Amino acid sequence: MADHRFRPVSGEKPCCDISKKARICLCVVFGLLVVVIIAVVVGIVMWRQPPQHQEWKGAGTTAHFYEIILGRCYTYTQIVRPELGHKDCQKIGKAFTNAFLSKDPCGSTEQDYQPLMELTNQTVPCDKTLLWSKTNELVHEYAWVQRELFTLENTLLGYMGDGLRWCGDLGSSEMNYQSCPDRRKDCSNNSVSVFWNTVSKRFAEDACGVVHVLLNGSVHNTFDERSTFARVEVFNLHPEKVHTLQAWVMQDIRNISSDSCSDASIKNLKLILSKRNITFTCEDNYRPIRFLQCVKYPEHSSCRSKI
Amino acid sequence: MAALGRASSLLSLLALLLVPAAGAGGARWRGEGTSPHLRSIFLGRCAEYSSLLSPELRDKNCTAIWEAFKVVLDKDPCSVFPSDYELFISLSRHSIPRDKSLFWENNHLLVTSYAENARRFMPLCDVLYGRIGDFLSWCRQENASGLDYRSCPTSEDCENNPVDSYWKMASMQYSRDSTGVIHVMLNGSEPKGAYPVKGFFADFEIPYLQKDKITRIEIWVMHEIGRPKVESCGEGSVKILEERLEKMGFQYRCINDHLPVKLLMCVDHSTHPDCALNSTCGCGGSPVLLH
Repeated sequence: MADHRFRPVSGEKPCCDISKKARICLCVVFGLLVVVIIAVVVGIVMWRQPPQHQEWKGAGTTAHFYEIILGRCYTYTQIVRPELGHKDCQKIGKAFTNAFLSKDPCGSTEQDYQPLMELTNQTVPCDKTLLWSKTNELVHEYAWVQRELFTLENTLLGYMGDGLRWCGDLGSSEMNYQSCPDRRKDCSNNSVSVFWNTVSKRFAEDACGVVHVLLNGSVHNTFDERSTFARVEVFNLHPEKVHTLQAWVMQDIRNISSDSCSDASIKNLKLILSKRNITFTCEDNYRPIRFLQCVKYPEHSSCRSKI
Repeated sequence: MAALGRASSLLSLLALLLVPAAGAGGARWRGEGTSPHLRSIFLGRCAEYSSLLSPELRDKNCTAIWEAFKVVLDKDPCSVFPSDYELFISLSRHSIPRDKSLFWENNHLLVTSYAENARRFMPLCDVLYGRIGDFLSWCRQENASGLDYRSCPTSEDCENNPVDSYWKMASMQYSRDSTGVIHVMLNGSEPKGAYPVKGFFADFEIPYLQKDKITRIEIWVMHEIGRPKVESCGEGSVKILEERLEKMGFQYRCINDHLPVKLLMCVDHSTHPDCALNSTCGCGGSPVLLH
């Protein structure tokens, strides 16, 4: 243990010409300064740390969500459907994020999306509405080729939101990029599900003439009462405007079984529509879309042709 | 005759399809003006491509890519060279999966449909630097700073214009990065010939193919349903292409009306005799009315 007693060493002059009192004062001031600096640094670090978001079981907001929806809005209104060139994408982008930022991601409502809906009104020509259920890839491939048909994802809002995820938090003005509510495991009134229910409802309400729907004849529940198509779209078709719903039921080309238009779930759909005074027609393995399936399996016997 | 700029033909096709004919009276150049909100579309597409379509490209810095691109917006619209896009390309380039390259002439929409959003094939428009610029147009004003939104030069106005130089650079890079089996889709119903002897494929793609990385080249000559078969394999300009590839030492194969693509064309012409399917099709006849 060192000897703490201060003993002047012979021949050594003291460091600076300051009295002991002043030296103590300086040390105290210096010590205080260090404490203050540490406090400020800690304060800044804590202030800058993003507030903790809630943890959910679904994937978080898509990275660069805002840039993506803005770019899509401009692409859609300037290039895809230039007749919508008057739409204000800045306003639309803001209305979209305002619908869920700083809000409970499990308490989303249709009202939250009303300002966005008003800014993105769009008329789809009669006979051109194409609904779908369990045929995501096929229906959009078909709509790409038959450009006059509109799936929901071919309308401005559907185009903007397609494939993205988003949610906010009550205690924060930031998007939650870590996680968002899963429809089944967390809550059904989440920002994303409510969005799709809201836009699907309007899409169905706006439809007129003959409406088409592409269904999957190779799954167990071709017409699924829990699907958005059943819950939202079928029930929001207006019989005064829509006189016929025509279903195209496509089966997996490698496994074509019996006539799927006589499937029990299809009969159920027919019943629901007849109660609403809408005519129902059904076509098995609609030929143009059969060609689309053949692109993947050109050598299949159903695809042999005289080409 | 001036070379068919791919971008100009793209944009004029699109103009015919989508944009109502605008009275261009007084416009300085022959091409479409700068796309409105160019920066937002650019950044949005870049973000979308790297976040959604190719998550392995998540580290791409879209802001830096834009900064590299926008230098051409300050240049005289007739003095923009492919090399002006060098930094842009170096920041946005990425590998192309082997055997997935698809080159084409005169069938943009068919190629995009067939490529299935890069799932089946990866044509230039499904590569980041191709996706960003697809269907867009840009140029500075001739005698002032600021963008020209009325018109932009095409190859007929001047060779070194911003859009053509972009696609030249993009095409060269796409070729350099293509490996394995190379596919080319040509339009055998095009009256001017299926293989444009002066065009993007001829001038900016074939010369940059890496022979040591390519196994063979497959040419598909597609004929439009109900339109005349102007050229087929071994004929006219297709023969010129075949001979050129042979001379360069490439193994190649030419197929008329490659079946999967033909079937795709039939989606739109399902009742045409050329699309008659076997009776084992299992397709429904007339719709059944259910009451």
